[in-house]
Amino acid sequence: MTMNRRDFLKVSTGASGSLILAVSIPGCATVQTGFQPETGEWKPDIWLELTRDDDILFTLARVEMGQGTYTGLTTLVAEELDVEPGRIKVKFAPVAPEYRNPLFGLQLTGASTSLATSWEPLRVAGAQARQMLVMAAARVWEVDAEQCKTQDGRVVHPNGLDSLRYGQLVELADREVIRGEVPLKPRSEWKYIGRMGSRLDARAKATGTAVYGMDVELPGMVYAVMTRSPRYGGKARSFNRDDVIGMPGVTDAFITERGVALVAQRYWQARKAQQQLQVEWDFSEALDTSTEAVFEGYRQAASKDPGAKERSDGNVDRAAARAKQVVEAEYEQPYLAHATMEPMNATAWYHDGGMDVWAPTQAPDLGRIAAARHTDLSPGKVNIHTTFLGGGFGRRLTQDYIEEAAAVAYQLKVPVKLIWSREEDTRHGFLRPAMLHRMKGSLNDGELTGWHHQIVGPQILDWYVRNAAPAQYPWAPKFLYDTLGRVGLMAEGIATPKDISAIEGATEYPYKVPNVSVRHTHTDPGVPITWWRSVGYSHNGFAVETFMDELAHESGEDPLQFRLKMLDAEPRHREVLERAARLADWGQPAPEGRARGLALFKSFGTYVAQVVEAGVESGEIRVYKVTCAVDCGQVVNPRIVEDQIEGGILFGLTAALYGEINFDNGEIRQSNFHDYRLMQMHQKPEVVVDIVDSEADPTGVGEPGVPPVISALGNALFALTGKRQRRLPLTA
Amino acid sequence: MAFSLTINGQRHTVDVDSDTPLLWVIRDEAGLKGTKFGCGAGLCGACTVHVNGQPARSCSTPVASIDGAIVTTIEGLSEDGQLHPLQQAWIDQGVPQCGYCQSGQIMTAAHLLNNNPSPSRQDIVTAMTGNLCRCGTYSRIVSAVEAVAGAVGHYEPAGEDA
Repeated sequence: MTMNRRDFLKVSTGASGSLILAVSIPGCATVQTGFQPETGEWKPDIWLELTRDDDILFTLARVEMGQGTYTGLTTLVAEELDVEPGRIKVKFAPVAPEYRNPLFGLQLTGASTSLATSWEPLRVAGAQARQMLVMAAARVWEVDAEQCKTQDGRVVHPNGLDSLRYGQLVELADREVIRGEVPLKPRSEWKYIGRMGSRLDARAKATGTAVYGMDVELPGMVYAVMTRSPRYGGKARSFNRDDVIGMPGVTDAFITERGVALVAQRYWQARKAQQQLQVEWDFSEALDTSTEAVFEGYRQAASKDPGAKERSDGNVDRAAARAKQVVEAEYEQPYLAHATMEPMNATAWYHDGGMDVWAPTQAPDLGRIAAARHTDLSPGKVNIHTTFLGGGFGRRLTQDYIEEAAAVAYQLKVPVKLIWSREEDTRHGFLRPAMLHRMKGSLNDGELTGWHHQIVGPQILDWYVRNAAPAQYPWAPKFLYDTLGRVGLMAEGIATPKDISAIEGATEYPYKVPNVSVRHTHTDPGVPITWWRSVGYSHNGFAVETFMDELAHESGEDPLQFRLKMLDAEPRHREVLERAARLADWGQPAPEGRARGLALFKSFGTYVAQVVEAGVESGEIRVYKVTCAVDCGQVVNPRIVEDQIEGGILFGLTAALYGEINFDNGEIRQSNFHDYRLMQMHQKPEVVVDIVDSEADPTGVGEPGVPPVISALGNALFALTGKRQRRLPLTA
Repeated sequence: MAFSLTINGQRHTVDVDSDTPLLWVIRDEAGLKGTKFGCGAGLCGACTVHVNGQPARSCSTPVASIDGAIVTTIEGLSEDGQLHPLQQAWIDQGVPQCGYCQSGQIMTAAHLLNNNPSPSRQDIVTAMTGNLCRCGTYSRIVSAVEAVAGAVGHYEPAGEDA
């Protein structure tokens, strides 16, 4: 979710040879717009569809996984179109170049970018459609369009009495031509932006009628389960086919690239057969690492290779040589699973020379590549039907579960739903990478003169490029897929934008320190990784803000004042930090047996400061209260902002308190919610979210709540016990 | 084997293996997809339904153990297309984020209110804490249950489970 990069594989002349250059970018208009007389539908643009019957449909090109695009983006269109957001019917977008996320050149939802990238285009789309409707009405009435108004889906005559419904005008509106720019509503006229407080998907989700990937049902559908190598990279060599094929309901069993597929008429029959399955694995290329070995490898790499210079101000070595005190610390963060409530699943049907795939995916165009890989089809013959997502958090940006369903469906030629168990979801997913951080701070009489941060670990695009690169060139033949991926990696930083997934948040160190050095030692132990809510910020936030706390204590200064004095040039950082501190009574003694810690971290353009009040009860860490100030620019839906920030806080606390995926000889130890715990209601702290009133362009809120809370909790525990914890998860 | 269940007032006879979890009978035999699969081990509560008026983790309830039972799912919580007061509160408070756990949350809350129309906050937390939510909607869930419970005299257990 961090590909903070335009055109992920924008390969330019001279950089990568002729391979990519030979493929030209086609004209991308695949979504038909205009008026369709036979249906009475008018599509003024790729997002909107208005009918004679006054239906208004909005195509949502950013998936809904809980973060609120369904409501937020619809609100933007509704505001300019002058209709109540609840009147608009939302449909999920098919794969089409028009629906790509402009930041990535891919149709993906991530990096907390949906609202920020839609803020202008969707309002403009709504405004232009409204303008054309007004012009059409004015022509009918023979009045000046400027004198007409709109209200609740009607154009109102200058006399204030007559009006025409949008539905009556759609055919005429299609003939209107807008010259010049259509002005957007001034803020003073907003009815919904900043005021909208409900969720448009709440009813479906409260009544059990929202359709998730898991809920897709097709006539004649069968069920599949996949038995994967217990160690990543292992291949199934053989299995006891005769034993399982005779079991009740079992219709098929075969080896695929990912493991042994069992197919049955009912899901439970497939699961029961799986219990009898014996597979002989080829582990010759399988992962054999352990968590301890990963960190040992990181330490060796860190000592051998100081890493690529990612930021260098002044001279940290000289600062250290001249410092009265040099403070060093090493931090460890474990692998983490996403644990979406809806386990991975996909439904696929290979028929009539194409494939339909129904899936809860964050990246439908990558899903199309994933399916094409395992069939004889070109990506254009694969239709991806996106459903509601039962959580995403980055996990569903990787399309392995679609690859599996497609591979099975290609064999079967009947619709098949492939479902992962919770145990499989925990053990065979793609993880937030484990990371190591080495920090060095130079202090002179309370002044921080040098900051050195060495980040050690892998970067995510190495793993992600496999399907992402071909998705940008879906017309490229399949035999080029791997080449495209390699070109993308080789040209990284030259022809393709840089992978910042390991360093984001570290390079933007905001404190005014004369000598700053940030380096990344790139080392990859071969454990499959992907984006995880707040990505690099999730571990860099902990490293930076914990070390800032250590330095404050070393210099005998209050952690708040220590930070503030280095933030003169950063007014938005200062504002949230001061607000959170004030609201949390920072400086006043905490209640008996409790202590407070704070942290400040900007991610995805959003500024967040948090104060955590924590203690230890019956040998367990207890978080009592989290006070949070957030500046995310203009707020569209205050309730959703609060909820996303609070959700991020609980997500971060879950990681800080329990989060840990460990390996023994290449196998993951954890399996289900008993040993990969999520925060429960009785463990939830009181959360206060204070939103800065801002007219700046909106920035994302899905992820920024996560990073600071982990260090704020650690800092609170240090204040409580005097013992510094440098490894996650935290212990009592 | 054949088993008989009354799901949301409708009688279903299903021919499945005796150890088939109720969850898959509800979802794939009765075709009611509102009840969700989360963990398969009774650890998350996404599959919560009422069996003879008691909350049950349908993912770990073999169908043979409840032959003849009366089962209520999220779809049967209210009648005649009306919203249950909890569902209305869930909408009013904007509780769901991804929404996947919310059927189970509402079913657990409904059982709580059936037995205790005026729960304290502690009662609510104690009843609800076994239902996991990865999005972190717990605060809104508490508010929504309190909103319904606060309307004392207005909350009447729906006709379900009767």
